[in-house]
Amino acid sequence: MIDMIEKEEPIISEEEAAQYDRQIRLWGLDAQKRLRGSRVLLVGLGGLGAEVAKNLILAGVKGLTLLDHEQVTEESCRAQFLVPVTARGQNRAQASLERAQYLNPMVEVRAYPDRPEDKPDDFFLQFDAVCLTGCSRDLMVRVDQLCSQRNIKVFCGDVYGYYGYMFSDLASINPTTTASFCSLKEALEVDWTSEKAKASLKRTPVDYFLLHVLLKFRTDKGRDPDPQSFAEDSQLLRQIRDDVLESLAVSGDLLSDDFVSYCFSEMSPVCAVVGGVLGQEVVKALSQRDAPHRNFFFFDGRKGNGVVDYFGPN
Amino acid sequence: MVQLVGSLRKELADSLSSCRVLVVGAGGIGCELLKNLVLTGFKNIEVIDLDTIDVSNLNRQFLFQKKHVGKSKAQVAKESALQFCPTANITAYHDSIMNPDYNVEFFRNFMLVMNALDNRAARNHVNRMCLAADIPLIESGTAGYLGQVTVIKKGLTECYECQPKPSQKTFPGCTIRNTPSEPIHCIVWAKYLFNQLFGEEDADQEVSPDTADPEAAWNPEEAAARATASEKDGDIKRVSTKEWARSTGYDSIKLFNKLFKDDIMYLLTMDKLWKKRKAPLPLDWQQLENHALFNEDSPGSGLKDQQVLGIWGYCKLFQHSVETLRSQLEQKGDGAELVWDKDDPPAMDFVTAAANLRMHIFSMNMKSRFDIKSMAGNIIPAIATTNAVIAGLIVLEGLKILSGELESCRSVSSSTANYPEVISLVTYEEPYDELEECQRSPDYFFCTVFDTFP
Repeated sequence: MIDMIEKEEPIISEEEAAQYDRQIRLWGLDAQKRLRGSRVLLVGLGGLGAEVAKNLILAGVKGLTLLDHEQVTEESCRAQFLVPVTARGQNRAQASLERAQYLNPMVEVRAYPDRPEDKPDDFFLQFDAVCLTGCSRDLMVRVDQLCSQRNIKVFCGDVYGYYGYMFSDLASINPTTTASFCSLKEALEVDWTSEKAKASLKRTPVDYFLLHVLLKFRTDKGRDPDPQSFAEDSQLLRQIRDDVLESLAVSGDLLSDDFVSYCFSEMSPVCAVVGGVLGQEVVKALSQRDAPHRNFFFFDGRKGNGVVDYFGPN
Repeated sequence: MVQLVGSLRKELADSLSSCRVLVVGAGGIGCELLKNLVLTGFKNIEVIDLDTIDVSNLNRQFLFQKKHVGKSKAQVAKESALQFCPTANITAYHDSIMNPDYNVEFFRNFMLVMNALDNRAARNHVNRMCLAADIPLIESGTAGYLGQVTVIKKGLTECYECQPKPSQKTFPGCTIRNTPSEPIHCIVWAKYLFNQLFGEEDADQEVSPDTADPEAAWNPEEAAARATASEKDGDIKRVSTKEWARSTGYDSIKLFNKLFKDDIMYLLTMDKLWKKRKAPLPLDWQQLENHALFNEDSPGSGLKDQQVLGIWGYCKLFQHSVETLRSQLEQKGDGAELVWDKDDPPAMDFVTAAANLRMHIFSMNMKSRFDIKSMAGNIIPAIATTNAVIAGLIVLEGLKILSGELESCRSVSSSTANYPEVISLVTYEEPYDELEECQRSPDYFFCTVFDTFP
């Protein structure tokens, strides 16, 4: 049974009030107090992860735990601003800790170097919200299933070159609102063979299918497309695109070859946009203010537009 | 064969490392923008900001820490950015972009100028300089959850001044002086009062009852009679508020009784004003003091600024702030004037007290210092995430410009107005024929339209 004890209402000190002044004027003191009482887990400290970390730490959550098993590479230095250039070879979460803490000493920031796959269920249950970046599809599905049952808010997000997305599962065991959320599993396993689904295909952002392709690449190769292996990765991406669209029973024309050369690495401005939207969604959910995006946000950095859309059982 | 450097095609990455760009402003948008630029691969960046760091900046201007409060924004932003990108070539100017040193030649050094400003005057100025130098400008702004990015290029798009911008809301003098009905009227009155007593006196900022109020007259003849009477009635008009205050030695209780008792009683004689409105209730210092002795205000819990005091609390705050401001004035010497600043505690205390006393007189619920500061200081709420999104969009537009894709540039806005498109594109307006004047002649920095919209 989940913990039903009312959390002690956090006090906002005069020091915090001075620092958070401009945001308290936007979302109010009660919202700030709820943030002040929230603990968040952030998995993955790549470009997107660093942006989300910054946004949540500045917002003034109680604690942010960073979890990442990857090492700092030359690529990481290009992608994110928390890791010192001298930290090559160190664990990415631990290397990001110092700068992350400097952003706001009033937040408890912790870093762990473990693989999220190796963490027991209990680990994830100590948080109010969990945010997964750079994770495999299987891990995201597992953590989402585990956490949403316990009323822990789940967010996922990634940036692939010029493209990015975020997903949220705010399903509550006591839903008070009419808007509902579904699991990531359900969101990804939409049946496109039904008449209704086929009819809605025209209005469906192709980014949804692109996401499937990139998640499959990540599962198959254990990494994301790498500029160093551009030729082979491009070919593999095209192949996976064909396979994925076929398995989803949708037209191969939906995703042209064009996307292939634009989904490598993490583009800083795209990380900033997706990280900003994702960060704000986490803040909204923790502060219980303002309508959340249901349940995906897709950003296309080439076109420059970003759209919210719902995918799930009809 | 496509070659990539990170996410970018090699040709684009190469052009980024050689071009020079200018960022105007190192605040909310500026910090995020600087970070995005260096991470994307821009190597030659100049950043200018006249401001220093304040603690209220720290919730979003993430390149700054508590220890930097008081230092130059441009300078600290540069140092922090160099920490995660030591090979970037960043020049910081702690200066105003409106300084004539930054002339058209200066602007011509850059391939791209990006504004990260918070005021219209500077935006107008940079707009004109970029038109004159024929350099693309990316304009942007944020407020709360909303934000917008627009590319401005001579000959291709409207400039920043092509469309008249709404000017700040003003209120009729008689509303401020005679018949306030909303807290903002009382706050504006309190700011006028500050200037009348301690700052630069302005004929448009009168605080005494307006006897020439057309609403006060029962008939046109009476209006005329009142108008002439006010000129003869020295008590109200002839002596300036500052002179009168000086003559009393800025005695806070005398000031209080004049502003919150005598002047209100005068207003009550203009009985037509109160036929359909609730009449104001004058305050008496002595009465309030006596009452307070028996009903001591208990201090509330929680943040000081968010509390609403009792009437006697604001009487005391009025007294205390007048005394502090009086000595500030004395210290500055003869003919000195104070300038109102929301971050100067006695100045803010004064407006809080005076506005609340007036609100109470006019039967409005009094407000906390926090709320009054928002209105008096025109504070725009701001958060990190909106600035992060907008700064990301700025760089994406910048990349299009540097790839020679100006025509594909759009005005982009971040809001829920076009839900479910939360980041949406607006196609450009073509520059109007009659405005081409501004964009062709090197001597005309501004649109001819601007002349007709003062």
